[in-house]
Amino acid sequence: MSIRRLVQLLIALAVLATAASAAVIYFGLYNVAATEQHTAPVYWLLNTSLKQAAEQRAKDIVLPALDDKQRIERGFDLYREHCVNCHGAPGVAPDAFALGMTPVPANLALTAKHWPAKRMYWVVRYGIKMTGMPAWEFRLREEELWDLVAFLMTLPNISPLDYAAGVRNAATRQGPLKPMQTQARKDAVTSEPAAMHGDAARGKFALQQYACVTCHEIPGVVGAIHAVGPPLEGMATRGFIGGVLPNTRQNMVRWLRDPQAVDARTAMPNLGVTERDAHDLAAFLETLK
Amino acid sequence: MKASLFAGLVIACATLAACDRPAQDIAKADAERGRLLLWQFGCGSCHRIGGVVGAVGEVGPPLDGVTARVYIAGVLANTPENLIRWIQSPQQIDPLTAMPDMGVSAEQARDMVAFLQSRR
Repeated sequence: MSIRRLVQLLIALAVLATAASAAVIYFGLYNVAATEQHTAPVYWLLNTSLKQAAEQRAKDIVLPALDDKQRIERGFDLYREHCVNCHGAPGVAPDAFALGMTPVPANLALTAKHWPAKRMYWVVRYGIKMTGMPAWEFRLREEELWDLVAFLMTLPNISPLDYAAGVRNAATRQGPLKPMQTQARKDAVTSEPAAMHGDAARGKFALQQYACVTCHEIPGVVGAIHAVGPPLEGMATRGFIGGVLPNTRQNMVRWLRDPQAVDARTAMPNLGVTERDAHDLAAFLETLK
Repeated sequence: MKASLFAGLVIACATLAACDRPAQDIAKADAERGRLLLWQFGCGSCHRIGGVVGAVGEVGPPLDGVTARVYIAGVLANTPENLIRWIQSPQQIDPLTAMPDMGVSAEQARDMVAFLQSRR
C-alpha cells in the first residue's frame, strides 16, 4: 500500500469515527439512566481517570498528624453528620436515596484500606465531578477536613459493634444528632480586613460551590445558563439587588448571606455563605459590567 | 371537516377564556402595542428591553427573556396572569420592591406581556 493510500484510509476512518460518535450523542444511544451501569469499557475509563486524577493531584499534599484520639472523635462526629447518609458505616446501610445513585457511594472502609490519607483528603476537599461526591472545601474548615480524614483512615479497623458503641457514646456526649442543614461554616464571621476586600477570582470559583449557577445566567461561567432568577450580567451597574436593596457592597454581602432576612418573600434561599465568601462573590459580581 | 371542528374548538375555548378574564386573554393581546406602551410608561428608564428604543436602564433586571424565568422579581411564580398583576401593582405583591405602581391598566399590561413573550 502506498503512503498516499494509507493516509486516505486513515482520514476515512477518522471521519467515520467522528460521524459514529456524533450519531451516538445525537440519537441518545448512550443510556444515562442511573439504573443502567456503565458499559465495562466506559466504567474502566471513568474509574481509571478518577483514580489517576486524584493520585496525581494529591501527591504533594503534606499530612498533619492524624492519630490524635480527639481528632478522630471529631472526625467521627463529622462523618455521622455529613457522610453516613450516602456511604453507610460498619453495619449501617446508606439512606434510600444513596442506594439509587450511580455510581453507588463507595464503602469507605475498603477505600481507606487501599488509599493513602492524602488522596482521601483530596477527594473530600475537592469532590468528584458527575459522581454525587460533593466538595467540602466551602463547607468544612481545613482542620475539620483533616479530622474527617483521620476518622476515615480508622474505618477498616472498626467493627460494626465498635461503630454502634461509638454512636451510643456520641449520643451521651452531644445529645441527638442535628439533621443536616445548609449553614455557614463556623468561621463564618471574619475580621480580617484582607478578606473583607473580596477576591473576584475566588468569588467566581465559589459561584459553583454555592449553586448560584443553577438559578442565574452568568456571563463567562460555563453551565450558568439557567433562568430561575434574573441574569447577573451587568450586576456591577444594576441599581437594585433583588429589586429591593440599593446595590452597594455592604448590601450585596447582606443579601448573599441571607436574602430572606431582607425580603421574606424572595425565592432565593440562605445558602450558608460565609462572610468572606460573600465578599468574594460580591467582588466577582462587581466585575460584571 | 376536522380542521373546521378544531377551529370551532379553538374559538369556543378562546371565548370561554375571554369571558373568564377579558383583560388577561393573552391570545388577543397586541404585542406591537405592548412595545409602544413599554416605551410610553418609561419602563426603559429602569430596564434594558431589546426592541424598545432607549430602554437601556440598569436599575432593575433586563427584560429580554423575562417570561422564560421561573420567578417574577424573585417572589411570584411566572405565569402571564401573574406578570400582568405584577406590572399593575408590584408593591401589592412585594411591599419591599423598588418598582413603583405606574398606573398600567390590565389591558395595557396584557399587551406588554405579549411583547415580552416575543423577546425570548
